[in-house]
Amino acid sequence: MSLMAFFIIANFIAPENIGTDPKAMLWLLPLTAAIAVVYKVTKMPTITAGSFIKEVVILFSSIIVFITIIAFALFALAWLIIE
Amino acid sequence: MAECSKENNIFFMIIVGILAWVVPGAGHYMLKEKKRSVIIFITIVLTFVMGLYAGSIGVINPIDAKAWYFAQVMNSPMVAFLGHLTSTAPEKYRVFGRPNEIGQYYTSIAGLLNLLCIVNAVYLAHLRGTNQEHPNSTLMKQEDKYKAGG
Repeated sequence: MSLMAFFIIANFIAPENIGTDPKAMLWLLPLTAAIAVVYKVTKMPTITAGSFIKEVVILFSSIIVFITIIAFALFALAWLIIE
Repeated sequence: MAECSKENNIFFMIIVGILAWVVPGAGHYMLKEKKRSVIIFITIVLTFVMGLYAGSIGVINPIDAKAWYFAQVMNSPMVAFLGHLTSTAPEKYRVFGRPNEIGQYYTSIAGLLNLLCIVNAVYLAHLRGTNQEHPNSTLMKQEDKYKAGG
């Protein structure tokens, strides 16, 4: 087995080092993109590159915006309870 | 004759459903929806592989995380092989904390997205069998007519 193949397999039998800092929230982005892509691919009657990308970007952005709004609302609520 | 055609359609729907489960996107490929099948395959496989990369194959745990495992196995029956591998040597592949969480989110959501695609492929196969259009195409035509001022 080549060294390259060994490193690739090793990546999948040992977990990544993911902290609990705010940067870990960035793992949300690829998952949201995957959800937007698969949802739109099942919903659009015809798929053309331009319209598909546009629809995916709109859905992706709206999910992120709503998650951010909910996060700020929960943060404000927690702040009000604590203070 | 009509009875035979109905039976053929049910058989076709079952084949499409099984294919869509075995290989993500294969159900749509069988329905000659090549663009959809390629997009589904790439997206679901990438999401699943990212989950395994983040948390290792230890995130597939049929013993201690049964609910997650049911969602993960919707990716493909091949996930059951990984589940068997991790359950035979649990201490070797055990993973904790945030990598476990993120790996489970990715692999399980990939599985649930594939379930959505399986249902969609079976529904499209049913529509083809009854010679109907895509459910959204009628809506799109009405929208186009509305935009054109009709």
